[in-house]
Amino acid sequence: MTDLTGIYVHIPFCRQKCFYCDFPSYAGLDSVFDDYAAALRREIDRRSGLLSSCRIDTIYFGGGTPTLLSSHAILSILETLQRRFTVLKDVEISIEANPGTIDKEKLRSLRSAGFNRISFGVQSFSDSVLQSAGRIHTAQQAVQSIREAQAAGFANVSVDLMYGLPGQTQKDVLFSFQQAIRLQISHISVYGLKVEEGTPLEAALHSGRAVLPDEDDELAMYELATRILPENGYFRYEISNYARLGSQSRHNLKYWRYLPYIGFGAAACSFFDNERLTNTPDVMDYIAMVRENRDPAAVRERIEAGTAMAEYAFLALRTVQGICFADFSDRFQVQFESHYAEQIDRLLHQQLICQYPGGIRLTPLGMKFGNLVFAAFLPKKDK
Amino acid sequence: METSHIRNFSIIAHIDHGKSTLADRLIEYTGALSAREMENQVLDQMELERERGITIKAQAVRLEYAAQNGEAYMLNLIDTPGHVDFTYEVSRSLAACEGALLVVDATQGIEAQTLANVYLALEHDLEIIVVINKIDLPSADPEKVKHEIEEVIGLDTSDAILVSAKTGVGIPEVLEAIVRKIPAPSTNEGEPLRALIFDSHFDSYKGVIAYVRVMDGSIRPGMRVKTMASDKVFEVTDVGVFRPALRNVDELGPGQVGFLAASVKNVKDTRVGDTITDASRPAAQPLTGYRKITPMVFCGLYTVESVDYEALRDALEKLQLNDASLVFEPETSVALGFGFRCGFLGLLHMDVIKERLEREYDLSLITTAPNVIYKVYRTDGQMLQIDNPAHLPSPQEIEHIEEPYVKATVIVPNEFVGAVMELSQEKRGEYRDMKYLDTTRVMLTYHLPLSEIIYDYFDRLKSSTRGYASLDYELTDYQESDLVKLDILLNGDPVDALSVIVHRDRAQYRGRLLVEKLRGIIPRQMFEIPVQAAIGNKVIARETVRAMRKDVLAKCYGGDITRKRKLLEKQKEGKKRMKQVGNVEIPQEAFMAVLKID
Repeated sequence: MTDLTGIYVHIPFCRQKCFYCDFPSYAGLDSVFDDYAAALRREIDRRSGLLSSCRIDTIYFGGGTPTLLSSHAILSILETLQRRFTVLKDVEISIEANPGTIDKEKLRSLRSAGFNRISFGVQSFSDSVLQSAGRIHTAQQAVQSIREAQAAGFANVSVDLMYGLPGQTQKDVLFSFQQAIRLQISHISVYGLKVEEGTPLEAALHSGRAVLPDEDDELAMYELATRILPENGYFRYEISNYARLGSQSRHNLKYWRYLPYIGFGAAACSFFDNERLTNTPDVMDYIAMVRENRDPAAVRERIEAGTAMAEYAFLALRTVQGICFADFSDRFQVQFESHYAEQIDRLLHQQLICQYPGGIRLTPLGMKFGNLVFAAFLPKKDK
Repeated sequence: METSHIRNFSIIAHIDHGKSTLADRLIEYTGALSAREMENQVLDQMELERERGITIKAQAVRLEYAAQNGEAYMLNLIDTPGHVDFTYEVSRSLAACEGALLVVDATQGIEAQTLANVYLALEHDLEIIVVINKIDLPSADPEKVKHEIEEVIGLDTSDAILVSAKTGVGIPEVLEAIVRKIPAPSTNEGEPLRALIFDSHFDSYKGVIAYVRVMDGSIRPGMRVKTMASDKVFEVTDVGVFRPALRNVDELGPGQVGFLAASVKNVKDTRVGDTITDASRPAAQPLTGYRKITPMVFCGLYTVESVDYEALRDALEKLQLNDASLVFEPETSVALGFGFRCGFLGLLHMDVIKERLEREYDLSLITTAPNVIYKVYRTDGQMLQIDNPAHLPSPQEIEHIEEPYVKATVIVPNEFVGAVMELSQEKRGEYRDMKYLDTTRVMLTYHLPLSEIIYDYFDRLKSSTRGYASLDYELTDYQESDLVKLDILLNGDPVDALSVIVHRDRAQYRGRLLVEKLRGIIPRQMFEIPVQAAIGNKVIARETVRAMRKDVLAKCYGGDITRKRKLLEKQKEGKKRMKQVGNVEIPQEAFMAVLKID
């Protein structure tokens, strides 16, 4: 494997679970932070032997809240990666952070260790919305953390913002976008709330303790993003992502371009050589398995050609470039246009996609109804 | 064996009155199967039959019985279906018998379908043995049931046998009565072979297995036989009997029931009801057949995926090998593409066929609403038989339309008489007769349009009588009715497969209910979908399926693409049973919604 490869490190810890969250992340595990960091270093050490030929151009610490770990722990993990892999000079090293979990000092030490991109989970700049979503920070703390990150030398600061949260109004959403713009953020991810099964939010909605904005409101919030952000210099390079020129997330683009990445940590996914591995999501199991030299991968999935082509298609279509036919045929030795002629015809007719010389991409309508497009490329199940 | 020691009989019973259990007991008692081989309800072989507790196909079994007089008898039991849809099967079975057991539940009394089948047996001059079943139940009232039988059918019940098929009480008496009372088959010594085909199934090794009752002469392997109606000659490869598994024998003699195989590839060459004779010495006259099979209910069958069309054709052809009553021919729908118009004996038959196609042939199907055959008289004097609303000529070309009517017999406890009358009236029925079977049960007769029966009459009858009513119907005549075609428009375009023919007075109501129901069934899509009901150009009802606002997965967490793909797969799976019509995706059940509205 000589492709440029990304590395994802999963830190599955939070101070408190947000009400809507069903990601593999856990609160109240502070006592195992050190063990977990040690396990991560050990997993990196052990697996790197097989992967040592990879050249790494992006590293991403995600969570959870990676910044809950001490600077020392984070840096020790980064150092292990740099020691074990060939890391390119212009590597993008990102870390996710929650406002209120990071101070000036930590920001400075991360920056000087090589982190050059920081992504804050802000979600909203309205305190009432933050509170009812179960967030641990205030809007003021978010502003402060962002300013401190910029002061510490992070030129590339990203924020995640959400719409469709309980009690949120179009005005709140507009205000949040305006705040982000005012703060000169370079990258904004805009996610619609999805109510997941088994979350406290689902229970609250069920019992009437929380109320979501209605669909028309929610759609208006979505459309607000598509209008306001580009007007202010953030171009939409993926369905949910907006960036100033040159500030796209190189790591996330790897997912969408179906490029290889290696994941370390509980619940982390790796994808290379037509195989997808997923580590056990259980933190204690993960720590124990690594300690006992057992393979922490819980799922190994061989991606067959038909599935791979479908995944390529639905991931690439999330980006503004969409699918470039030449790249597709390089990858799969299959002509996209003829292989999916029927689907392309139908989707063009439905105005969900449009053609450009050498490729297709989603229309604005297609961005709203992406799932209808994505599902079209899935292989037919055998009877 | 001497014909004098052969008895051929069927069992007539209402669903749940214990026919299959009784048959099992008889098989068990005579040792046709060891207890170990006995599986409950041996004769209901199809998975579906067991699940639904009904008999669909006629089955046969030979029992060897040592009677109390010390002599051995051969008893041939020919099982019959109990549901009204399968009356023709009953008629076939009865034609092969000299007698019948009339089984009546001691806690329920006679039901409408039993009645119809008893009359059928009497028409065939069958000796009837009255069996009162389930006497072990605390609520059994055999005397009342006997009285009812005498009153309604006019059968002498003084020697009715009281039985519990469940516990085995009365089984020996039943067997003795079969020997004593049912006449031995009468045959004409020295006459050429005549055997009646009363059923058949297809075996992939031996070809058609024809179930026969030999009337005169005998059949042996190697013989050249001729079918008298289809005029085909075959060489017999196997003859045998039902034990109940097929077992080869050297010869089927006069009066016997069994099967023959003759490498017949096409089921049509040995049609049920045909007479088999000796090719070298043919009989002069065929046996009287019986009521021809006439499908009464028609619907369109389409595959969700158009590529499965050929698979559907193959499956229908295979099912037809075992079910001569199933008819189908190709048709095209603007909305659904290529499919088949299929004719069935009734709604249950339709359901059963559809379920078998989906289960046994793994097809995903769309069924359009069932229809009867309308006789449409055109202004130019021509008469068209229409089994598909889409083919109805335009109103200006129609002089008048006639629809099939049935004589419907309902048996019901007297407290529900009012409810039945109200329902029958609502369904355009004409009252014909009312008769008290005893002090509490009433038999009502109505003259009703068949289309109302297949719409929801039976369901509503059941629900408005708390399940007590039983129904039987038979086609009587065609009558003129003021009928119109009700079209459904989705997104402004008529969907031919959703059109129905209804009475003008009910059109407004049906149209309104239908669009409401469709609004609930059709999932929201990218755009708003008007759902309209129209007669000709006049829209009589309208609803709107609101547009979906958006549908896109937002977050892609840490490269977990598998999870995302699975979400998409799940979403796609949900769409599998939808049919794309124009721009609109319509779920399968929408096409059946036309049928059931409550």
